[in-house]
Amino acid sequence: MTTETLTATSGSGTSSEPLLRVEGLVKHFPLTQGIVFKKTVGQVRAVDGVSFSLDKGETLGLVGESGCGKSTVSKLIMHLEKPTAGKIFYKGTDVTELSGKELRKLRRNIQIIFQDPYSSLNPRMTVGDIVGEPWEIHPDVVPSKDRQRRVRELLERVGLNPDFVNRYPHQFSGGQRQRIGIARALALQPEIIVCDEPVSALDVSVQAQVINLLEELKHEFGLAYIFIAHDLSVVRHISDRVAVMYLGAIVEIGTEEDIYENSAHPYTQALLSAVPVLDPVARAQKTRIMLTGDVPSPANPPSGCRFRTRCWKAQDICATDPPELVDRGQGHPAACHFAEAVKIVGGDTHVPEPTTEISAPVAGPDGSTHPSGS
Amino acid sequence: MTSLMTSPSGAPVGGVPLLEVDDLYVEFRTDYGVVHAVNGISYTLSAGETLAILGESGCGKSVSAQAIMGILDSPPGFVTGGEIRYKGSNLLTMSAKEQRDLRGEEISIVFQDALSSLNPVFSVGAQIGEMFRRHRGASRADAKKAAIELMERVRIPSAKERVNDYPHQFSGGMRQRVMIAMAIALDPAILIADEPTTALDVTVQAQIMDLLAELQKETGMGLILITHDLGVVGEIADRVAVMYAGRIVETGATDAVFSAPAMPYTEGLMASIARVDQKGQRLNPIVGAPPNLANLPSGCPFHPRCPRATDYCPTALPPLLEVVPGRYSACHYAEEVLRDH
Repeated sequence: MTTETLTATSGSGTSSEPLLRVEGLVKHFPLTQGIVFKKTVGQVRAVDGVSFSLDKGETLGLVGESGCGKSTVSKLIMHLEKPTAGKIFYKGTDVTELSGKELRKLRRNIQIIFQDPYSSLNPRMTVGDIVGEPWEIHPDVVPSKDRQRRVRELLERVGLNPDFVNRYPHQFSGGQRQRIGIARALALQPEIIVCDEPVSALDVSVQAQVINLLEELKHEFGLAYIFIAHDLSVVRHISDRVAVMYLGAIVEIGTEEDIYENSAHPYTQALLSAVPVLDPVARAQKTRIMLTGDVPSPANPPSGCRFRTRCWKAQDICATDPPELVDRGQGHPAACHFAEAVKIVGGDTHVPEPTTEISAPVAGPDGSTHPSGS
Repeated sequence: MTSLMTSPSGAPVGGVPLLEVDDLYVEFRTDYGVVHAVNGISYTLSAGETLAILGESGCGKSVSAQAIMGILDSPPGFVTGGEIRYKGSNLLTMSAKEQRDLRGEEISIVFQDALSSLNPVFSVGAQIGEMFRRHRGASRADAKKAAIELMERVRIPSAKERVNDYPHQFSGGMRQRVMIAMAIALDPAILIADEPTTALDVTVQAQIMDLLAELQKETGMGLILITHDLGVVGEIADRVAVMYAGRIVETGATDAVFSAPAMPYTEGLMASIARVDQKGQRLNPIVGAPPNLANLPSGCPFHPRCPRATDYCPTALPPLLEVVPGRYSACHYAEEVLRDH
């Protein structure tokens, strides 16, 4: 699909054009030295060429470890950061360069829920004021005489007692605060909600309540979510499609089933393998892959494939040619020269690869060995 | 391994539990009232065993560990009842000096947040070496040598070059390794790990869990793992004690408990978690939120959230009783709950 055909469908959201599409999104943060005369000494490549699309009513999970750039992607989509390069299309219209009135109009349709329910609510505002504040900027959404009633409806919808409108955030528990954040995001009747680690600060039993609420709201209002999390189990539960990020780039993207049942990229496989499994039977069937070392610094990513320094499959080509994110016969795109679909968890149909094969020490591209744990 | 690292006490006596926590009570006396953080918990730990203490925030799991280590903030925290016996002798009646000598030497702890638990103005080598200087009277040079060996033992790459680095120069996973190095420096008989991987990424978490399991195999130490993560418990614990509102509500062998829980709270926790090995149906969370420890519900503290609660539950506190051999549950209907699985 070319850019010309996209602009032709602008605003109308025809069936062929996704609700949101990002193309080659790049965000580099300068590394500076000095206090008065700042001089740029390098770039942190937080996001380095990320492309994906989101359909109406769909949930796209964005998963990866800390520092992989998933939260920066959310900030770029929210226009809280300006991309270094790349484009964001909303219903076919390029919205990357929007400002002023146009940007405000767009923001109405894309809302965000933050990770920390403690710091994302103003402690000096009542819950009613917090949930109703978006209407100060977008007064046409709800006429002022209806606002009190709407706030109560919203609170009730997210499972809070509407009589709590005059309470302050500190009077609520973490789970309740997250519900307040959700009510605020719903206030403008958006089409897309970016959920940036919405449940990771919550207790297990409360997490499940919030996840269920998000799912109900999605069906009720036809919302599309970009669900950012590091918890692979939660992402699997809620997502229709999943993108796995590593060091600022998507290494694998596909349906929930593609990623969890037929993961093709070694990093995805290692991530899945590292998730502790409760069920003893499923645990026994799990393929064990132990990665060595830490994620390299995004200020100085490895050449070629970014994962090669921790990868047991790495060959010479990995140090020279960055693998493209394309389908190499696994049914979905993966950025690995040696992509191979493997079922890592819950393997009742597929016999897992022998552990010894996967964890055998291999010579890295730089000649050093990367012994994987057994 | 240098001679500095061998424990003077030798191997624990077989058959006698290393650690016995017996009817422990801890409360915090605050301006707003008395918070009953731990309300009569008992458990034992043997050498080479891994016991997981599982619970949500505010259930008293960390406070019980702090009481064992003698690092409870006091005031406001007070141990108001019970005994903590290490190889038969009660830690709570020991003098401060005796307790200090035991700490690090026999029982040590790894905290969740490695960055705030390490001193930012001392090199990691100095902090690991301090264990030898304080407990063994080692010289600076010997302490540094021992620190390097320990860093290698917890698999910190190029330990020799990094021994003079400061905590901020290490990644989260490496900092947690430094903490573990300090904790195992004197070959303790018991290691308490308080949410050791909660702040870490999942691939690093797997590395740290692996390291703990390996060290345990090498040294035969008893490991108390405090966590809220059911998956982590399932992967490494031999036994699990589930805590709720300052009490142990269920305990038993890990796989037995998770394949057939005998307490509705454990059941609820398991139904609350999304699973990575299958696309689940709608999650079935426990309703409501954990209770306020300053104002506990009457009878069974779980009854306001319990789907199985009857009129009897608010009237009587269920004791932790044996349901089947090796399995204990604090539910009036434990046998029924167990039968349903």
